[in-house]
Amino acid sequence: MIGFGLVVLGLILFVDSLGMQVPPTYARVGPQAFPYFIAAALAAVGAYFVWNAWAPGAKREIVAEGFDTDWRALLIIGAGLLIHLNILKPLGFVISGIFLFLCVAFAFGSRNFLRDGIVAVILVLASYLGFTHGLGLQLPPGILAGVL
Amino acid sequence: MDVLHSLLQGFATAITPMNLMWCLLGTTLGTAIGILPGIGPALTIALLLPITAKLDPTGAFIMFAGLYYGAMYGSSTTSILLNTPGESGSIITAVEGNVMAKKGRGAAALATAAIGSFVAGTLGTIAITFLAPLFVKLALLFGPAEYFALMVLAFTTVSALLGLSLSRGITSLMLGLAIGLVGTDVLTGQPRLTFGILSLLRGIDIVVVAVGLFAVGEALYMASRPDMRAGEVMPIRGSLFMTREEWRRSWKPWLRGTALGFPFGALPAGGTEIPTFLSYFLEKRLSKKPEEFGKGAIEGVAGPEAANNAAVAGVLVPLLTLGLPTSATAAILLAAFEQYNLKPGPLLFSSSSTLVWGLIASLYIGNVMLLILNLPLAGLWVRLLAIPQPLLYGGILLFSTLGVYSLNNSTFDLILLFLVGLLGFLMRRYDFPVAPCVIGLILGRLAEAQFRRALTISQGDASVFFTHPLSLALLVIAALVFFGPLVYRWRAARLQSAKASG
Repeated sequence: MIGFGLVVLGLILFVDSLGMQVPPTYARVGPQAFPYFIAAALAAVGAYFVWNAWAPGAKREIVAEGFDTDWRALLIIGAGLLIHLNILKPLGFVISGIFLFLCVAFAFGSRNFLRDGIVAVILVLASYLGFTHGLGLQLPPGILAGVL
Repeated sequence: MDVLHSLLQGFATAITPMNLMWCLLGTTLGTAIGILPGIGPALTIALLLPITAKLDPTGAFIMFAGLYYGAMYGSSTTSILLNTPGESGSIITAVEGNVMAKKGRGAAALATAAIGSFVAGTLGTIAITFLAPLFVKLALLFGPAEYFALMVLAFTTVSALLGLSLSRGITSLMLGLAIGLVGTDVLTGQPRLTFGILSLLRGIDIVVVAVGLFAVGEALYMASRPDMRAGEVMPIRGSLFMTREEWRRSWKPWLRGTALGFPFGALPAGGTEIPTFLSYFLEKRLSKKPEEFGKGAIEGVAGPEAANNAAVAGVLVPLLTLGLPTSATAAILLAAFEQYNLKPGPLLFSSSSTLVWGLIASLYIGNVMLLILNLPLAGLWVRLLAIPQPLLYGGILLFSTLGVYSLNNSTFDLILLFLVGLLGFLMRRYDFPVAPCVIGLILGRLAEAQFRRALTISQGDASVFFTHPLSLALLVIAALVFFGPLVYRWRAARLQSAKASG
């Protein structure tokens, strides 16, 4: 699986390099030399891993077993991150930040919502105020613009 | 005398109240992140980059260096009391240290780790002070061809020595190099790997990649492994004052650990892990009571802890004099130099001598601060370990997205962060080392530039890399590092099959 992925990556890189329009003055060592090399190397390690996947058990390099994977926790965090980046601008950093924090805490198995909520509010408000007022960085205020 | 004069001037810089405060902030923060599992110095410095953009560079670098040292001090505490290393350089400390803690000698283990770190850190800093000017003289001999050869050497050693196998290291390195390609080619303005997306023309920021791999990838991985969540914190027991016996058994391993750690850090051999392993096995072999190892031998804590701190000092030498990062944290530090438009290398010592010598002087001060922070206050720091994991990772991801967003105020960077985080998760899950990827990302651009510059000077004649003696020597060493183990394994396999058939 991983091997195939790497071969594909190598191919993408190769095709991208082929499509480059190189000004003739730089023809000697242009911007495509390095990408070709990296494409070749990626394809090579990819091919190696593909070949290796059929190797006898002891010689096989990539094995992921011996432990359970909590796919649900992964999905929750993944979804949390995606939702966070979509609501960051419209709803503002404070709301999206609190949402992300609670999402991750929930995925890590915390069911102590009151404690998590209090920590989230304090942490997010403190970092918002510290960053915008203390360090002069811009963070989207969102719908709470007038309040803070 | 020249060196001492510069150093004195450095102390004058470092001792100003502002810089002392940065140093204290860095060392305190460093100790904290060292103690907390899941956050390392590379990630923290990456997150601090957008915030420090407006600071005075001297203060920022004093803070970063204190942070790097501090993380090494702090991680030993986690190793000893929780049996999970706070950083990869403390894996070995966990072996003996945790057994000592279980036997009620946790305090002695903490003490020998902290004092050993102090001894090694200070000796390492002395070594920087006197070696750096020599390295600068050497570096002045380097042209583009030599720089390129040196970077090739760094690539091969980093991918060969970090991680489980050469193939994994190379994969990680190549991924980093490929990510580094994204954006506009500096010399020709040719867009590469941008797929027509405008936001990609700027390239992918190293902060996004580092935070994605170290924070998001790590958080996803930890979330997917419920079996790795729990951990038992041992209370500190015993006196923090080491007995005469313990001193007697500690001081030699401290010195030997320093002697191993510093050169390994300074060589392009990838950071702090290897010297700690070497130091452990050396102490085991030299010990009069090897049977004690595995059952809580104090030498097994003293040696490796000294080695990892000395290695951090060593890492700074090629970084400052050649601009060559040999660990993931050093790669981020290099990015920090770029942020200030500073170019580490021989010229840095003349053009920004206040910064460089102020930084070196602050290392002496930082080490004293760290000894005080870590020895009497160890009990306070341990409370950090009581932070529940859900809150810890919630906080890590909150600050990761915050830091990445504030780079350019762009949501697009957050999408990239998410994708790199997925990549980091896969790498972590299938045991690919992450550090070569980060080093490849930042060094790849420089290597390509030097490669093309060398060929431009030689008018396209590729033989420059083999006719310059220094460049040739470096490339030969790189080839040995790369092919040596392969040949060795091949011969061993042949010998075995010969034995089996004969």
